[in-house]
Amino acid sequence: MFDEQPSGSTEFATLRELLVGPERQQLDELADRVDEVTVTPHLLAEQLPEAIALRASRDGQLGRALAPTIETALRESIRRNPREVATAIFPVLGPAIRKAIAETMSGLVRSINSAVEHSFSVQGIKWRLEAWRTGERYADVVIKHALLYRVEQVFLIHAETGLLLAHVTAPDLDVPDADLISGMLTAIQDFVRDSFRPAEGGMLSTFTVGEHTVHVEAGPSALVAAVIRGQFPETVPQHLQQTLEQIHLEYASALGDFQGEAAPFASAAPLLEENLKTVLSTDRTAARSRLLWLRWAIPVAIVALLAGGFATASWTRWRRAVRVMESEPGFVVIDASRSWRRWHFRGLKDPMARDPRAVLLAAGAAPPAIDGEWKPYLSLDSAIVAARARQALVARIDEMRRHVEDTHIFFEPGSARVTDAEAMNVRALATSIRGMSDSASAAGGTVRIDLIGRTDPTGTDATNQSLANLRVDAVLRRLVAAGVPLAMLNGRPVATAQPLRAADPAEQARLNRSVSFEAVVTSGSHAPRGP
Amino acid sequence: MLQKKICMVGMFGTGKTCLVQRYVHSLFSVKYLTTVGVKIDRREVQASGQPVMLMLWDLEGRDEVRNINPSYLKGAHGILYVVDGTRRDTFEKLFEIQALVTGAVGGVPSVVALNKSDLAEQWQLSPADDKRLATAGLFSLRTSAKSGDGVEAAFQHLADATVTPTGAHP
Repeated sequence: MFDEQPSGSTEFATLRELLVGPERQQLDELADRVDEVTVTPHLLAEQLPEAIALRASRDGQLGRALAPTIETALRESIRRNPREVATAIFPVLGPAIRKAIAETMSGLVRSINSAVEHSFSVQGIKWRLEAWRTGERYADVVIKHALLYRVEQVFLIHAETGLLLAHVTAPDLDVPDADLISGMLTAIQDFVRDSFRPAEGGMLSTFTVGEHTVHVEAGPSALVAAVIRGQFPETVPQHLQQTLEQIHLEYASALGDFQGEAAPFASAAPLLEENLKTVLSTDRTAARSRLLWLRWAIPVAIVALLAGGFATASWTRWRRAVRVMESEPGFVVIDASRSWRRWHFRGLKDPMARDPRAVLLAAGAAPPAIDGEWKPYLSLDSAIVAARARQALVARIDEMRRHVEDTHIFFEPGSARVTDAEAMNVRALATSIRGMSDSASAAGGTVRIDLIGRTDPTGTDATNQSLANLRVDAVLRRLVAAGVPLAMLNGRPVATAQPLRAADPAEQARLNRSVSFEAVVTSGSHAPRGP
Repeated sequence: MLQKKICMVGMFGTGKTCLVQRYVHSLFSVKYLTTVGVKIDRREVQASGQPVMLMLWDLEGRDEVRNINPSYLKGAHGILYVVDGTRRDTFEKLFEIQALVTGAVGGVPSVVALNKSDLAEQWQLSPADDKRLATAGLFSLRTSAKSGDGVEAAFQHLADATVTPTGAHP
């Protein structure tokens, strides 16, 4: 191919063109494309929106291509920060959710109201009994008694043919022959119209069968018939009329072209359902709610009465307690107050006064718990003065009794003669006994003094007994001589029977050669002591 | 489901009510016929591959054609004429009835049931009568409420004719 040598630049250029022409052209194109590819981000930012719009207008390829990426991005975004997404869609979802909840709640509240009212009333119990007796469901019994009215079925009927276009019923109702009823309703309409030949447009609008009423609203192309149980208000036919008008408006062509196919009218069911209603007497709240209130008011009143009675009794008891404390000798009540389960007293209290709790218990005003804040004082109340005096006497008697009982009159062995030294002791003893007697009688009591005569164990029992008798007699005579009444004295010559004990035998013998004394103070002499 | 209003008409005692009694779902008693003048029954059939609910309006048979209430014919998609094959007068009155029906609802599909075919020895209709029916554009077949012969076929024909109006009779 390269046999010929090129001569001259023109030929060379031609040769070059022939040899590498296509490759050069390719190189040029590549160079151009390289220029195109080096699109700067700036350039891309400028052109991207336009490019997207351009492609999107051409076909759906862009959307399809982007969809997986956007889905992934969205998923990732929700995973990372769900809050952000929730905030973004809240304005859309919020109202929808609120509406749904509100509707559910209002239905729920209504059923709860009905259930509560009927469950708690005497009537409710009667109805339960009736349901149990007749075997009917409780709900049916309630409806039978409490029902004002209930729109149970609504028919949409083609006027000309009497064929059923749509039919809705209350939830628990099953009407298998709606199409036959629909035809018959139309036939009856025709029958009545033919029989009575009413004025233009006249028709059978309402007829009653037992507890059911059938109300028919007729339009040029269709009828709406409702089967209603109970006494219904004027709003029910009005609403049926509105429904019928709306159906004529929305389904004008379907009604005109009707050839027996009811499918196009299935969408009218919600319109018809708006007419289905169950209105119980409980829904008329104005009059009944007062009764409902009364139902709660009775137990509340009973509780209030009980609480009131309790409070009054408590108050009366408290007033009496205060009066008792104010009149009790030895107390000056300055302040009295009470709180839940505690009574508080503040004032003056004589040491001789009784325990406040005992005072209140005795007066029949049993206190719950008492806080006493008492300052001591001396009461001049006669009862307290007397009590104080009695206490003083008793203290004196005790003092003298101790002197009497500590005294021993000792004797020489084998002797019953009171020595001079012992004679002085006997006189001192006589003074104590007389004082004791005076004090005891002032306090309303008496005193008896036992004289216990003993001997040491030396000698025979007979000798010792006789010696003990003599010793008791000797002391007794001297006491009487010193002014102690004989009646008060009682001799108990025990000899060796109840010996006094001492560590030393000689000392014990001396101790038992004696007469000792026991004082017995009889009752009446004990004044009330302070707390 | 597609519904079609079918009216059954014929003179008194042609056996319309007996004809359908065994084949339909009834809600209303026969008493309706004499009180309201019509009784509505229901019969489901298959036509052109789809279920069709025939609402059968059984119109009370009268001695005089003029006593038939045209109100009940309103909107009918098909007519089932019933003739008592053992009583010639019911056949003669058929054409009067047809005129009344056509006047009320126009030309709709129809079938003539020549009933009581089980009573062959009392049969009073001749092949010439069949020809007369054909001339009048009326499709006819023999039926027997007693044996059930032809009843299904009559309803089926009517159903087919109402669902595909191209086969409609004048």
